[in-house]
This record gives sequence, structure tokens and C-alpha cells, in this order.
Amino acid sequence: MKPYQVKIARSAGNGAPTEVGTFEVVLEERMTVLDALFNIQRTQDDSLSFRCACRVGMCGTCAMYINSVPRLACKTQVSRLNSSTVTIGPLPNLPVIKDLVVSLEPFFEQWKKIKPALHSPTRDSKELACIPATSRYARETPQKRDCITCGICYGACGIKSSSAEYLGPAAINKAFLRLMDPRDTATEERLEVINNERAGVWRCHAQFNCTAACPKNIDLTDTIMRLKRAMLFPSGLKKA
Amino acid sequence: MRPATATAAVRKYRWQFSGMVAHVIQRVTGLLLLVYLFLHVHTIRQLSEGPVAFDQALSVFKNPLFRLLEITLLGTVILHALNGIRLTLIDLGVGHARQRQIFWAWSIGLGVLVFLAGAIPLFLASVLRV
Amino acid sequence: MPAYRNVLWWYVQRITGALLVVLLTLHFWVEHFMSKTLMRGDLTYAVILSRISNPVWQAIDIGFLLVALVHGLNGLRNIVLDYSRVGPRVAQAITVALVAVGLVWSWWGIEAFSKL
Repeated sequence: MKPYQVKIARSAGNGAPTEVGTFEVVLEERMTVLDALFNIQRTQDDSLSFRCACRVGMCGTCAMYINSVPRLACKTQVSRLNSSTVTIGPLPNLPVIKDLVVSLEPFFEQWKKIKPALHSPTRDSKELACIPATSRYARETPQKRDCITCGICYGACGIKSSSAEYLGPAAINKAFLRLMDPRDTATEERLEVINNERAGVWRCHAQFNCTAACPKNIDLTDTIMRLKRAMLFPSGLKKA
Repeated sequence: MRPATATAAVRKYRWQFSGMVAHVIQRVTGLLLLVYLFLHVHTIRQLSEGPVAFDQALSVFKNPLFRLLEITLLGTVILHALNGIRLTLIDLGVGHARQRQIFWAWSIGLGVLVFLAGAIPLFLASVLRV
Repeated sequence: MPAYRNVLWWYVQRITGALLVVLLTLHFWVEHFMSKTLMRGDLTYAVILSRISNPVWQAIDIGFLLVALVHGLNGLRNIVLDYSRVGPRVAQAITVALVAVGLVWSWWGIEAFSKL
């Protein structure tokens, strides 16, 4: 059991001023930031607002800014922060609703722009769509499929902090998966969005913040660079 | 929500400093080099003024202060070029796994070495006149 | 098919960058390290003219300038547009202005050799 000082950004949201609330907690060895937050909410201040759901790193709901790094609270062990002070703030680049709760609307607005659903004319067919394990889609996309739409990459991105229009890594990654998918036919519409000079892949300048922060270890910068290279011969994306 | 102050910005990106530092370095050095290019073309144009006028214009540059500026230019160019090479490799999909180390070792580390290799002889020859 | 100009300019920036690394190393060597005199910085009209009256060097230098302008002004365009909140019309105006600057600057540089 160790004592920690937890500083939490409190605000009424909608641009209201932020205050820092300081709490003292005693935590066990493997407790997470989420454990600390529950502890504080139950025993010290029940007006503290934060989001969580699965608490095992699967849903992405508890994304927040912990000791200046965007992370999942449920997957961040307090002892591993190597500090007796834990500073928690809302995920950056998103509007604050209250305390640590942000609105993911801007994130999902961008997500929807790239048409995240599979657009396949044969979707009601009884036939199985066969994608060989040796195909390009099978080889190059598995490591990109784990996105839990937590918004951490969006919060980490250095470009997003000054550009409202930029799609952000998650949306681009999703578009990549659909563009590579041999079953999908909404290629032209997605390419249009991805190719946009002010909002598309071209705004990425390889800072790697997204890749470094992604809790699912998706190499997002790699996705974006692949798309940039592919824009010269876009038909090559679906090539087997 | 762009950081409001410089200290806030430093705190925001401290965890992955290399990303922001590389980005800013590339842009700042690029702009400096554009400014330099303008001054450089202007100087070379003086050639048409004839030998006396040109050599007189150039004598300003023999001033040690200008030599130091030239050495700064060397550093600016080296940083921009090395980091630019790193970025091109990243664009081609090379070096993603260790991009942070590559930035510090290649762009900064090697950059300082190459800079010193050029700057020290230049400094000795033109500022200290050894 | 989406507009190719974005991807083409992306490749152009990298290709011109690579060319500049070569051209600049050559230029630096020739101007500063080829002889002890040059290292002291004792460049004079005579020394420069002996090299620059050669049309091959003139061609290289002009090529160098043009590549540098393409790379530099394209870079400047990216920086300006990244940090400004303007619509497509203004963005196009900025592009046109930079192209104009590039053309004038190129001419300014090429003209330097015509009066030697």
C-alpha cells in the first residue's frame, strides 16, 4: 500500500474554467488509475465525473490524459507511472463535458466522413467471400484491425491540436482497412476524402504521437504513409 | 485545443518530444534557409557590378560575425537535410519501429558530428585565421 | 480517380530534397573546402568568375536554384496553409502568389549570370 497524490482537472464543461482538485489516496501495488478514480469518487468526492465501462482495456471508454500522456485509465498502473503524484486531465483536442468526460462527437464526425461501414453489393449473398491468407489484405491488415475508437490517437496528434478539419489517425486507419478490402466498393468516395489536401492524409507530418500512444499498438503512422504512397496508383490498394 | 502558452505546449508533448521537436526543427530550418537563399541570390547578383564593387560587397563577409553566421547556416542546413532524409525514409516505410532513436542518433547526433567536422575547420580558418 | 496533384507534390518534395542534398554537398565543397584559400573565406570576384564563366557551372547553378525554389516554396506553402484557417479560394490565391514569387525569384537568379 502506498500513498499517492492525485490531481484532477475539474470543470463544469462548455469552456468553463478548470480547477485542479487534489486528493490523497492509498493504493495497492497493482491498482490502476481507474481504481484510484473510483476510490476518490466513493470515499472523497462523489461529484467527480469520469467515463469507464469494461475496465479491461477493450472498450476504450476510459481514455484520458494521465501524467501528460493520453492513456486508458484502466490499463495504467499507478506504480508504473514512477511518480507519487498522478495528474489526470480530460483527453486533449476534444470538448469537455464535465471534469474528465469529453465529447467524442468530433472524433466520430471524422470517422463517419470516411464511410466506416463495408459497402459491398454482394453483402446479402449466401456465398462466402473468400479472402486467401496469402492475399495482400490478409497479410497487411490484421495488425491494423484492433482499433477500439478510444480517441487516444486523436488526443495525442500534434496536428489535431491546431486543425479541426484533419481526419485524424483512427478515421484514416479505418478508411485504409475498407480501401484494402476486396469486398468493398465505395473506393472512389473514400479516396476523395482521404486525398483532401486540408483534411486528408497529407496533413500528417510523421510526428508518431498516435503510434506511440495507441493502446492497441497499431502502427498508425505506417497506415498513413502506406496510403500516401498508394495515392499515386490507388487501384493498387485492392490488388491481391 | 491548442496549448495556450509555450510551457503548456512543452508539457503537452514532452512524452514524445522527438515528434514535435523534429516537426518544428524541419519547418524552422526550412524557413531560415529560404531567407538565406534570398540573401544569397542577392549577393551573387552583385557579380554584375564588376570586380571592384563585388569584392567590396564581399569584404563585409570577412567580418568574423558573418563567418559565425555562415557556420550557423551550416548547422541549419545539416539539421534540415539529415532530418529530411529521415522523413523520406519514414515515408517509404523504413525505420518506423525505432524512429525515436533514429531521430536522436541520426538527425541530432550525426548532425552535431558533421556540423563540428565542418564548423571547426571553418572556424579555425576564417574566424581565428589559423 | 482522385486529384493527383497532392501525391505528385508529395513525391516532388522528397525528390527535390534528395537532389538538394547532393547539389548542396557539391556546392559547399566547391565553395568552401576545395582549397585553403576558400576555407579562409577569401572568395574574390576573380576566383568566382573563373568558375562561373563556365556554362556548365552556370547550368548546374541555375538548376540548383530552381530545385531549391520548388522545394522551399512548396514547403512554405505547406506551412502557411497548415496554420491558416482560409477557404479554398484564398488557399488558391496563396498558391498563385507563391508561384509568382518563384518565377520572379528564378528570373532574378538567372539574370545574375546574363550580365557577367
